[in-house]
Amino acid sequence: MSDQIASSCDDCAFHNIAQLKKLGVNVEDTDYVVTLAGNPNTGKSTVFNALTGLRQHTGNWPGKTVTRAEGGFSYNEKRFKLVDLPGTYSLLSTSQDEEIARNFILFGRPDVTIIVVDASRLERNLNLVLQVLEITNKAVLCLNLMDEARRHDIIVDERTLAKDLGIPVVPTSARSLEGIPQLIETIYKVASNEIVCKPHKIKNLAGPVNKAVEQLSSKISKIYPEMPNSRWIAMRLLDGDERVVTALQNNEFLIA
Amino acid sequence: MTPDPGIALIVFFILVFVGVLLWKIIKSPFLLQNIKQSKKALVEDILKQLYHVEYSGRTASLNAMAGALKLSDRKIVRLVEDMSSHDLLKLDQDILQLTSSGRDYALKIIRVHRLWEKYLSERTGFDKSEWHDRAEQKEHTLTEEQAEQLYHDLGNPRFDPHGDPIPTEAGEIIETHWKSLSSLSENTVARIVHLEDEPEVIYQQIVAEKLHIGSQVKIIASDNHEVKFFSEGEEYRFSPIVASNISVKELTAQEKYEEDVVRLSSLDPGEKAIILGISSECRGASRRRLLDLGFIAGSSIETEFASPSKEPKAYSIRNTIIALRGDQADLILIKKVNE
Amino acid sequence: MVEIKDKASEIIDLASELRWQVGDDFHDRLTEGIYADAATITERVEQKPDRKISYSFDRALDKILTSGTFGFPIMILVLAVILWITIQGANYPSGALAVLLLDIVYPFLKDISSNLGIYWWIDGLLIDGVYMAVAWVIAVMLPPMAIFFPLFTLLEDFGYLPRVAFNLDSLFKRAGAHGKQALTMSMGWGCNAAGVVATRIIDSPRERLIAIITNNFSLCNGRWPTQILIATIFIGALVPSGLANLTASLSVITIAMLGVFFTFFSSWVLSKTMLKGEVSTFTLELPPYRPPRFWKTIYTSIIDRTLIVLWRAIVFAAPAGAIIWLISNIDVGDVSIANLAISSFDGFGVLLGLNGVILLAYIVAIPANEIVIPTILMLTVSNLAITGVGAGEGVMFELDSSSETAEILKAGGWTVLTGINLMLFSLLHNPCSTTIYTIYQETKSWKWTSVASILPVIMGFVVTFLVAQVWRLIAGV
Repeated sequence: MSDQIASSCDDCAFHNIAQLKKLGVNVEDTDYVVTLAGNPNTGKSTVFNALTGLRQHTGNWPGKTVTRAEGGFSYNEKRFKLVDLPGTYSLLSTSQDEEIARNFILFGRPDVTIIVVDASRLERNLNLVLQVLEITNKAVLCLNLMDEARRHDIIVDERTLAKDLGIPVVPTSARSLEGIPQLIETIYKVASNEIVCKPHKIKNLAGPVNKAVEQLSSKISKIYPEMPNSRWIAMRLLDGDERVVTALQNNEFLIA
Repeated sequence: MTPDPGIALIVFFILVFVGVLLWKIIKSPFLLQNIKQSKKALVEDILKQLYHVEYSGRTASLNAMAGALKLSDRKIVRLVEDMSSHDLLKLDQDILQLTSSGRDYALKIIRVHRLWEKYLSERTGFDKSEWHDRAEQKEHTLTEEQAEQLYHDLGNPRFDPHGDPIPTEAGEIIETHWKSLSSLSENTVARIVHLEDEPEVIYQQIVAEKLHIGSQVKIIASDNHEVKFFSEGEEYRFSPIVASNISVKELTAQEKYEEDVVRLSSLDPGEKAIILGISSECRGASRRRLLDLGFIAGSSIETEFASPSKEPKAYSIRNTIIALRGDQADLILIKKVNE
Repeated sequence: MVEIKDKASEIIDLASELRWQVGDDFHDRLTEGIYADAATITERVEQKPDRKISYSFDRALDKILTSGTFGFPIMILVLAVILWITIQGANYPSGALAVLLLDIVYPFLKDISSNLGIYWWIDGLLIDGVYMAVAWVIAVMLPPMAIFFPLFTLLEDFGYLPRVAFNLDSLFKRAGAHGKQALTMSMGWGCNAAGVVATRIIDSPRERLIAIITNNFSLCNGRWPTQILIATIFIGALVPSGLANLTASLSVITIAMLGVFFTFFSSWVLSKTMLKGEVSTFTLELPPYRPPRFWKTIYTSIIDRTLIVLWRAIVFAAPAGAIIWLISNIDVGDVSIANLAISSFDGFGVLLGLNGVILLAYIVAIPANEIVIPTILMLTVSNLAITGVGAGEGVMFELDSSSETAEILKAGGWTVLTGINLMLFSLLHNPCSTTIYTIYQETKSWKWTSVASILPVIMGFVVTFLVAQVWRLIAGV
């Protein structure tokens, strides 16, 4: 049981090839695997299309993409595989969509997770963002629908947001391709470890809940020192998530 | 060539009739009774019944037991003889008494029953009126290992959805110190902790009145004819018989009686409120979904507009419009805010 | 492996113990904690004006679109306009495609094959069978779908459809279903397979299954032409010629409304019986209105919905074409398989007020409702050995005028009852194989796929049977 996660190489890929194959993603001819997460109705599919040039249908409907859409792009001679996940409000409810999104980020370990949020309803969207940041260290926040936010006179201070979340924030209006080149560049920098994220961890847990999470997660870290998201796994176990229990038993969290 | 329509219709209706009859027989209480009449189930029912009787501080005679379980005298005598030879109960001058191994057995059955009710409430869409009957069936068939698995999967629950404590594997059960709603005097404030699901007629009435476990109540008047009280902004009038099936616990010093708590369903378009919480009657997937959407204590909410048939209503919460149905809005507790 | 199990169970045991201590409101506390963090961060980074002003346009529009007075009329008007544009607009391209594929390309292919001297059975199987079936499906299916779906998608992009679900939810709630089923139902009027895919918008497991299983009761565009043709021949003929068109149209609308009735009825039954144990939740977000981007929407909805569904239909229609040709051309003894099947189904068919030809047509034409009428015509002609009509054994055809069609059908022993029951059976029978396949793809369950396939056909048998007997009793035939 050797672990190969804590590799010293600077720009190598981080994704879990074996798990990705199981999830049905072909990673041949790909340097990095990038995934798109986000609430329904944040223009996630529009961002997907803007990045890949594909014409996936994007509806004004919560929860459009149940099956995954895949596409690709390249930048700086690196080939990126982009996987669009179902839009979800959370990763905690274990509905079918959430399970797909959660499993992909958790087991597939994408090199970068782009979290698309609606700039005009930041607070609601942060619920999902903070959950994703508990799972993965490599994320970019795509502050989408900037045009709509401007129309409603909503101003978001993206520098402070980036500082608070500990990940890069790129404002975009994917419909008009505004901000997309910057987004691609940032994805590249995070994938190649040029930018190292220090994601925000959830702070405001009530006393006893926080204590239980800490106690369990330190146990997990002691048994699996290489597990990057022990706190999140602790939260899921405390919530009685059967899928995570099975994953622990089958050792799905580690790269074999 | 063309068959006679009259004969065809008659044959058709005979076939339908036979089909319905077969279905009824398969599903009938008569056949279920037969399954229940299996010796194991009968023994378990006697133990459970006896446990409940002893728990409430009463005693059970052989006759009363035969009556409660609708068994013939001959049958109950045979069963009781058999059970005493297995050291499950004692017959002392027509009074049935559980032995300690009988009590353990009874608690195991009760444990499975309550666990299954908990499972039905959390993981399935069955209506709460069906939980009890389904658990009555399941309690005789689930093995101990399955019950343990269920217990872990459900996150080691301590109470069933009616508020009854679930006995532990070792057979311990939390002592409850509840009062009946009918015993409270005027102006007492309390919290509903348990709704008795037997007899069913009364339980259905309580359910239909939308009274929820976890809700605070305030007694306005109580006499031999009627118990009048407030809960979540609604006024209720129950007969003492119904009210005695509602168990409550007086509020502790830390608990504050929320004078102006009302249900979200009472918030009219244009009105604003602060969410106080989601009732504990909202369970499983529905509860998690509401939480994920941001229906969290302290959030501000406003009713924006109603659909042409008054339901669902659209609420604005965290800058998003979410529509909820009336029965969902009934389970969200709020405090109205005046501008 | 033992080591892994040990490590895992050590963690899981601790988790169980802690869960007992934390209590069962962990999920509540966790969500509250996350939202508290979200609120703190938002407070620091966001400046916004009074929300009332900035969303006033959306709210004003909502007040109209969901109002008691205008809500329903607007909805009905929008739907009627879409259906009208689809049916009217599809006529011309459908006709043009039929001319191109059936009158120009088909003879051309036949010429090539006879010039090359290809064996008659290869030629028959591939050109008369496979090609004809595919051509028919494309000609009938493509134009209405290419019009209907983009229009629907435009409404979707604008944000109107969630408001429709909002308006109709209380109606669907009474049947144990979700308001969004209104949309998957309407989508089913275009194509049931697309309607089934569209149920993805319903995020509650029970209501989604209900929507999938009942989608077949939406009369899809493969069935509209059958309804219109049969109504014109048999029902329009019952009234003075001035009223014929109107009566025929009304009878088709009645059938479609009957489909809506069956949707509600079976939704209600399912939610009370087979599906009552499935988890059910309700949430409906009403997103902000967004101006749709016209051309992009048209382009993507044609690619996304129309072509995918069309491709599936073609894949299923091709082998059906081959089978139709084969059963008409392979003889057992002196009789073709088709004629054998027709005579063995005839007794049951007549009992239902239909006949053997119709039942056989529905069996072989399971891939696509579009080819039911051509198959019926071909089978009738070949069964009665009528000469001078059609293009030979196993070659589907349609006639230019409905009166010629009527002559053939009446020669086949069709009465008004046959017509009415065919219309009913066309509404109430198993979904086409494209839809069945899609249902399996969406549910990944053989159980629900079988229920969705078998339930409607049983209802069809019962309804046509009862209508036939009552009709015969009253008419005294």
